[in-house]
Amino acid sequence: MKKRLYLELENCIGCRSCLAACTQCGGHEERNRNYVYDVNPLVNRQTMPLMCLHCVNPACARSCPAQAIQIHETGAVLSALVEKCIGCQNCTIACPYGIPKFDTEQNLMYKCDLCIDRSKDGIPPMCASVCPSNTLQWLTDEEIEAKQKQFNLDNGKWVTSMPYLEGETNVRVNLPGILQGVTKLF
Amino acid sequence: MQTNLSTNPKQGRSVNDAFASHFAKSMFLSILALGILTFIGTRMFTHIDLNLYGYMIGTIVFIGGFFYRFIAWGERPPTKIIIKKGLKQLFRKSTPKTAAEHLVTYKFIWHRGIYRWLQHFLIGGGCILSCFVTFPLVFGWMYFTMDDNGYYTVVGLGMNLMKVSADGIIAFFFYNALNITAVMVITGVCMALYRRLKNMQARAEQKFMYDFLPLYMLLFISVTGLLLTFMNVVLHGWGQPVMSLIHQFSVIVTLIYLPFGKLAHIPFRPMSVFARNYREHYSEEAEKECKVCGSHFVSVEQSQDVIDVLGLNNMEFFKKEGFHLAELCLPCRRKYRIAQFSGIATHEIKVKEANQNAKG
Ligand code: SF4
Ligand code: SF4
Ligand code: SF4
Repeated sequence: MKKRLYLELENCIGCRSCLAACTQCGGHEERNRNYVYDVNPLVNRQTMPLMCLHCVNPACARSCPAQAIQIHETGAVLSALVEKCIGCQNCTIACPYGIPKFDTEQNLMYKCDLCIDRSKDGIPPMCASVCPSNTLQWLTDEEIEAKQKQFNLDNGKWVTSMPYLEGETNVRVNLPGILQGVTKLF
Repeated sequence: MQTNLSTNPKQGRSVNDAFASHFAKSMFLSILALGILTFIGTRMFTHIDLNLYGYMIGTIVFIGGFFYRFIAWGERPPTKIIIKKGLKQLFRKSTPKTAAEHLVTYKFIWHRGIYRWLQHFLIGGGCILSCFVTFPLVFGWMYFTMDDNGYYTVVGLGMNLMKVSADGIIAFFFYNALNITAVMVITGVCMALYRRLKNMQARAEQKFMYDFLPLYMLLFISVTGLLLTFMNVVLHGWGQPVMSLIHQFSVIVTLIYLPFGKLAHIPFRPMSVFARNYREHYSEEAEKECKVCGSHFVSVEQSQDVIDVLGLNNMEFFKKEGFHLAELCLPCRRKYRIAQFSGIATHEIKVKEANQNAKG
């Protein structure tokens, strides 16, 4: 059963467990590939995670001159193939969310690969496995639909896509209630 | 769609019209070049070693496959830009140093891990040295003659290069060059196979056709090559003709496979020198200022090139604030997205992004 990474942004408590977990994913060599941001740092403590959204039409891969960024059959947009990446950094400039990281010494780009060694077998990615606040979840499309019903939002704003994102993504993002002007019931 | 980048309307009828495609032209020119070099090298075809002609066929098929791949690949808009602008910067002062680090010493792989570096150095060095020995022999660019007893004359491209004593140290290296490189390749391949079998992560990512096949092929070539020497020296040539055919066959199959699988990174690797020159040159010319925070993050040229490439792919990330997303530095671009999610202009708050590396 195909599952997706699903983000419920406003649940984030800023614990940064996902950053720590990402370092432990296979092949990541102790470096995380995701981000957690303070939304309004001088005013309150709200945080939100930002990860690769695994675009259906990924700008990073389209801009790569070496075809180093491959798209897995599950839809995951993989990290650069080590032998192909020529270190031009086009991908870091192209990604509309600023996700790919670049190591100048290794001359190599690295980005979230949706923990492909896990997710290709249906095991949740590291970040979703550890998130204590259910901000990051690993759900089937039916479960995501059920969430939509539970939150009872029929205004078409429930899952972010345009205009909040730049294109269709494989990761689903749930817009925070703050923006929708509603309070969610758990 | 791709051709917008280099429309050249004033081009009238030129030699290019004589060829149906880039492919045919490149193919023609390289076989011509090979032919001319061979003609000169073999002193007008008088010194061809016909035992080696299988390799010639293999090389020509390889060149065909290589151009086929290279041209298909070079048609992609981002690739075209790097090739075009990289070529213009080919004669930068830093080129020899960059090329040495990227193509000979593999310094960047050293930073990825010493084990990997050693393994890559052995395989890469072994393969490249073998090619430098084998192909000049195949095409007659280099051969040996014996005029005086006990001394070989090394002939390179039709000129006498040097005389070496038949049992001196240099001659020893000439005879055994391929044995030494074979041992290098075998050691490197074994290291690579060991890493793949032992490391669970490496195992999860590997595909047989892409990752293992090229290793097995290199192993097969090296082992059959060493067996040839063994048969010559120990078995006094017994079985040598058959083994020679098997060895030739394995080399030819590898050459044909080379432009398509993992080994394709060998002929494409010089592109990384282009990419480095492109970044260095245009960064010196003008740095792009982030449209939000004003910090420099890439060259103006590259930012514009990426915007163009995305445009060709129908991706226009122009925002109502008046900038393209490729004009924001990475932290600002991420904060800008958070701002879209939350409705609070996070990217305009002058606070550095906090603790993004999971270190406490
Ligand atoms: S979010 Fe960025 S890095 Fe991830 S797939 Fe899309 S363009 Fe690539
Ligand atoms: S840095 Fe590597 S992965 Fe990124 S665009 Fe350049 S070659 Fe491709
Ligand atoms: S899916 Fe895996 S690689 Fe991507 S951010 Fe989460 S832990 Fe990191």
